[in-house]
Amino acid sequence: MLTAGPTTSTPEPSRTLAPAARVLWRLEGAATAVVGLVAAGVLQATAGGTRAALGWAAALIAAAVAVVLLPELRWRRWRWEVREHEIDIRRGTLAVTRTLVPMLRVQHVDTKRDLLQQALGLATVVFHTAAGANEIPALTVAEAAQVRDRIAELARTADEL
Amino acid sequence: MSSEAPAGDEATTAPDETATAPAGAIAPRRLHPAGIAVLGVGSLRELALPLGIAFAAMVFGSGSGRPILRAVMYAAIGAVIAVLAGYLRWATTRWSVGDGRIRLRTGVLSEKVTDVPLGRVQAIDTVHGPLQRLFGVRGVQVQTAGGGRESEITLPAVSPADVELLRAAVRRRGEPAAAEPAPLAERRLGRRQLLVAALTAGQVGVLLPLLAVVPQLGEELWGNDIETAGRQGMRLVPESAPEWILAGLGLILLAWLLSTAGALFAFAGFTIARDQDRLRVRRGLLARREATVPVARVQAVRVVEGVLRRPFGLATVRAEVAGYAKEAAAAQTLFPLLRRGEVEPFLAAILPELADGIDGLDRPPRRALRRYVLPPAALLLALGAAACVAVPDAAPWPLLAVPPAAGYGVARWRAAGWRIEGGRLAVRFRRMARITVLAPTRRLQEHGVRQTVLQRRGELADVEVRVGAGTRGVVRHLDARMAGRLFDALRREEVALVDRAAEPAPPRARAAPGR
Repeated sequence: MLTAGPTTSTPEPSRTLAPAARVLWRLEGAATAVVGLVAAGVLQATAGGTRAALGWAAALIAAAVAVVLLPELRWRRWRWEVREHEIDIRRGTLAVTRTLVPMLRVQHVDTKRDLLQQALGLATVVFHTAAGANEIPALTVAEAAQVRDRIAELARTADEL
Repeated sequence: MSSEAPAGDEATTAPDETATAPAGAIAPRRLHPAGIAVLGVGSLRELALPLGIAFAAMVFGSGSGRPILRAVMYAAIGAVIAVLAGYLRWATTRWSVGDGRIRLRTGVLSEKVTDVPLGRVQAIDTVHGPLQRLFGVRGVQVQTAGGGRESEITLPAVSPADVELLRAAVRRRGEPAAAEPAPLAERRLGRRQLLVAALTAGQVGVLLPLLAVVPQLGEELWGNDIETAGRQGMRLVPESAPEWILAGLGLILLAWLLSTAGALFAFAGFTIARDQDRLRVRRGLLARREATVPVARVQAVRVVEGVLRRPFGLATVRAEVAGYAKEAAAAQTLFPLLRRGEVEPFLAAILPELADGIDGLDRPPRRALRRYVLPPAALLLALGAAACVAVPDAAPWPLLAVPPAAGYGVARWRAAGWRIEGGRLAVRFRRMARITVLAPTRRLQEHGVRQTVLQRRGELADVEVRVGAGTRGVVRHLDARMAGRLFDALRREEVALVDRAAEPAPPRARAAPGR
């Protein structure tokens, strides 16, 4: 199940995100699931009966998908690799996207951490090109710093060519 | 790409080579006195809304009589404010060139100093607005690589002699001056072409959703009160379906007239000329604009065949220029109107670096057709069915939208295509307009493939490329193996670029990969 997306002769990216990424996404999923559960509760209070039961069922299924299934699938699918001339990323659950960013085009790199990520010791690497930004989310802090510095170094040498 | 130099610390400025060339320096000076008028009108424009409201309140307000007198009084006050504000802003503005940078000092209450290193100046663009023409001066925009919505330095009124001085100063610093060569190629927009371009400038895609909203809006606003509010008073609100349709058509007509007028003003006298390594574009009826674009900064060309133009085989050619992405569409136009067949020769003459054919592309397989057709058709079917259930009276009519939606899908399938040849990439797709993106593969910012679960079953995949902030090309539902090969081919081109650049003395050094 891990070979996904159209076959290319470009080697698949090999690195995974930090295992704690799953926890991060579960928490984020739980936040959205709460909204659905509240909506079901409101339905229960106003309509009641079978409609409310259906509402609860839908909300629970959605919550299970958002909290249990999706984070796992996402994590298994996510792959990245920083090579000398390019950054290679593969991601997505229902739709698999493979993106290649030439190192020559990277203008700058940063890492960022939101509150949840700080609590979990994770960080996101963001690299910018003239066309926009791409991310490698949820690496461990140490690895993110390492990746950021490596991309910065490679992008700089690429610029000097 | 380097960080921008903050406001000046002259003492520490490194004595680089330009400091020894004071010939290019321009001593601090004010704008041309016409700037008082230009800046004053500008200030007035900023105040237009509050003044207008006050004015309207005066004229239509139920106060004492003589509204005309009051109006005149307010106009006079406005004029005085304009002159005062204009004078203040003019008197506190100084610009200069020296130490390898252009400096602008402005600010009535708090002083603001903007420094732009000459090396970062991409072009000196000029604007001749009505006011500027009245006084025989020019507005100057210093275009830099950073390129936000506005240029970093704008000088609203500069005498032609000073413009030449400024241009000379920039040229001295920039690439060794090619001594202002005569244009290698030029093309002008004729009067009839202008008219056709203006008449077909409307974007139907923008108008259609509006049309759908109008009846709803009417219902929201007036609802069932139409009866009670009294027919005589509310005759402006259409009541029956034909009237709604008429009202909608009227709105479309109005929007179309507006877009036509806008295009007439923007593109009158459009001329593009190519000299050694720059494109010069002149355009505009009231405000004559003159823009200079370094060819090296053109990332891609977009050939746009709008809904109103496609039936006549007409197209607009636009450029994706690094730093200009956020500017108005008119500012990115290379030529407002060409026949399809003229596009390639035009590009070959004006911009051979990016010229490529717009036909003969590889297309998605036939089995991809239903994937283009089904989603829009199914969406409209669902919406139509919902509408029928919600408003049983309207019964079958909402479903009439399904065939056009399917037709749209077919049109998208027919439009989609791609080609890589000799380091040039062509990608064609359709949203409302049909767009062909032409770009050298070495200018790509990123590329990717995408495959959904459904596409996987049909062995199809999407290919996406990004050329600049404003140009993203997606070809959907290509054969999956083809998409994979395309992905690899684009990667090879990029790697080849690195190898080429790594050679000690690359023969194609002119096409420097940096920005």
